[in-house]
Parts: sequence; structure tokens; C-alpha cells
Amino acid sequence: MKCKNVERKISRSFDGLLKKEEKQALEEHLKDCPICQTKKEEYQNILNTLKGEDYPEPLPYFWERLQPKLKESKSYEPLTLWKQWGIRAIPISLIAVFLLTVAIILFLPNNNEELSQSGALLLRNLNPLQETTSLLEGVGVEDKNMMLIFTAMEEKNGTRR
Amino acid sequence: MEEKELVRLSQEGNEEAFASLVKKYKIKIFNLAWSLTRDHETADDMAQEVFIKAYFALPRFQFKSEFGTWLYRITVNHVKDYLRKKGRMNKMLIESKKESLLFLEDNTVRKENKYAEEQRRKLVHQAIQTLPEKYHVILSLRDIQGLPYGEISKILKISPGTVDSRLHRARKILREKLAPFLSQEGGNHEM
Repeated sequence: MKCKNVERKISRSFDGLLKKEEKQALEEHLKDCPICQTKKEEYQNILNTLKGEDYPEPLPYFWERLQPKLKESKSYEPLTLWKQWGIRAIPISLIAVFLLTVAIILFLPNNNEELSQSGALLLRNLNPLQETTSLLEGVGVEDKNMMLIFTAMEEKNGTRR
Repeated sequence: MEEKELVRLSQEGNEEAFASLVKKYKIKIFNLAWSLTRDHETADDMAQEVFIKAYFALPRFQFKSEFGTWLYRITVNHVKDYLRKKGRMNKMLIESKKESLLFLEDNTVRKENKYAEEQRRKLVHQAIQTLPEKYHVILSLRDIQGLPYGEISKILKISPGTVDSRLHRARKILREKLAPFLSQEGGNHEM
């Protein structure tokens, strides 16, 4: 067995992964090779140090401290989601509102603009000229009567229009 | 009650069932967090955070692995995130540890008393902290926690062959770092 391959076998031997014959061959090599023997002792030292340690315990009242945190996390869950996505949603919403407003201004008909009388008549599929003529005729008679009344009043009061 | 049943009840929001799972795993999770951070309060915080994460992730747990393995995976990832965030601070600590390694060589390691043993332990852990993250994690799982290759393979989502080679590489680097400081004490490991 070559020293080059021995180190890996030493490492694997600590995990009980060597076959019987491999284990035997390793032991034979270690007997005759002080360098590999030293390496093996170094590995053993490190592993003993790691495994022989007394571990501390978690701080007391582990569950009692955990329980309120779980409840708190539960109640803040929607808030957390809002924190995650809400901040990004704000500028996106503002842009969407702006674009919508622009679209409304540009493309929708202006409701404030009143239709002309003839336009309204055309919309109702009526002839505006016919309506206008009758209107003028009607207005003409009233105007004549009104003019007579006003003229009579002016003459009585001695004033002129 | 069986663990699977406890997990199933916890998934439905049963707090008592989850409390039983916490009771069963809190020391293991704390120990793993402690072996990776080497700080009592940080490890306790990490363990608490792991259980909070697990509680909210439970509805997504599909019993494809053991609950314990799943919990270990959350712990490893959570502590890795923590260590990455604290990366800059760690670099500073590593520098100070390098200095302390030299100090320990001259003053304590060679003394055959309890204090020297404690210092040797400190030295080994300080050397582990300086290893790349993947070696640090695998040494914690195998040589500190004593988990079998199969479970490590599932936790880290790597093949058992990769566990074997990564572990050997980690031990080799650690031995080379520590060789000048180690005394000749033997041990009881299987051979």
C-alpha cells in the first residue's frame, strides 16, 4: 500500500467504512510507516476533541419563548406579505393609474361638450332643416306679438329701444 | 404518538403536536446551530428561527424524507444564510483567530492539564471556522453531530460518494492546519 492512498483509508477507517482486508492492509502499513502512523494519531486527536465535547443546552423555556413568536408571526403574516410586495406595488399602481387617466382623456368622448341642436336632431334621425323652418315660423309669430307689445309700451312711456 | 402523526397534526395547525416535535428536536437543532456558530445565544436564536420557519413551511412538507432530515436541512440553510450575512464580521474573527492560534501554540496546548485540553478544543473549533463553508458544514454534521453518511447525503442533497470525498478533504485540510499544534494523545475511535 502506498502512503499516497493511505490517508483516505485512515479517514474512512474512523467511519467504519473499510472492508476487513482493507483494514488489515492499513494496519500492516501503519506498523511500518511512522509518517502515516503520525497522521493517523493526528486525525484521532482531532476527532476525539470534537466528539468528546460537552455541548451546551438551549436557553431555558425554549417552547415558552417560541410559542408567542409563532403567534406573532401568524398575525403578522399578511403584513409581511404586504411588506414584501406592497412596496413594489405602489409605483406600479401609480403608473397604471396615470396611464388609465391619459387613456380616458385621449380616447373617450368628452361628455361635457353639448351637442348642437342640429347634431341632436341628426342623432335622433330627424331632418334639422324642417325643424328649423318650423321653429323660425313659430318664433316669427311670437316675435311679432312681442314687438307690438314692446312698441306700444315704448310709445306710452316716451322711451326708445 | 408516532412522529408522522405529530407532523400531520402540526400541518393542520395543532400546536400541541408541534410542541412535541419541538421537544424532540430542539437539542439536536440547537447543537447543530451551535457547532456551526459556536455562540450560545446565536445558536439558540437560530434554533428558534428554524422552528418558526419549519412551522410555516409544514404545509409544504410532503413526507418525501424524514421530518428530522428536513429540519436539519432547514437548519443548515438557515445558518449558512446567517454566516453569509455575517461574512464581513467572520473575516475579522478569522484574522483574530489566526493570531490566537500562534498564542496557543506557545502557551497552552502542550501543557498536560484540563486547561490545555480546553484550549485544544478551542483551537480545533477555531480552525474549523476558518474552513470553507462546505467543509465546515460537513464536519459539523459528521464529526460533531455524528450523523450517518446517508442522512448527510439527504440533508445536503449530494451523493454519498460526494459526502465521502468532501469529508475526507475537510479532515485533511483540518489536520494540516492543526498538525503543528497537536500533541500526541490517542483516542478511542473505531479503527
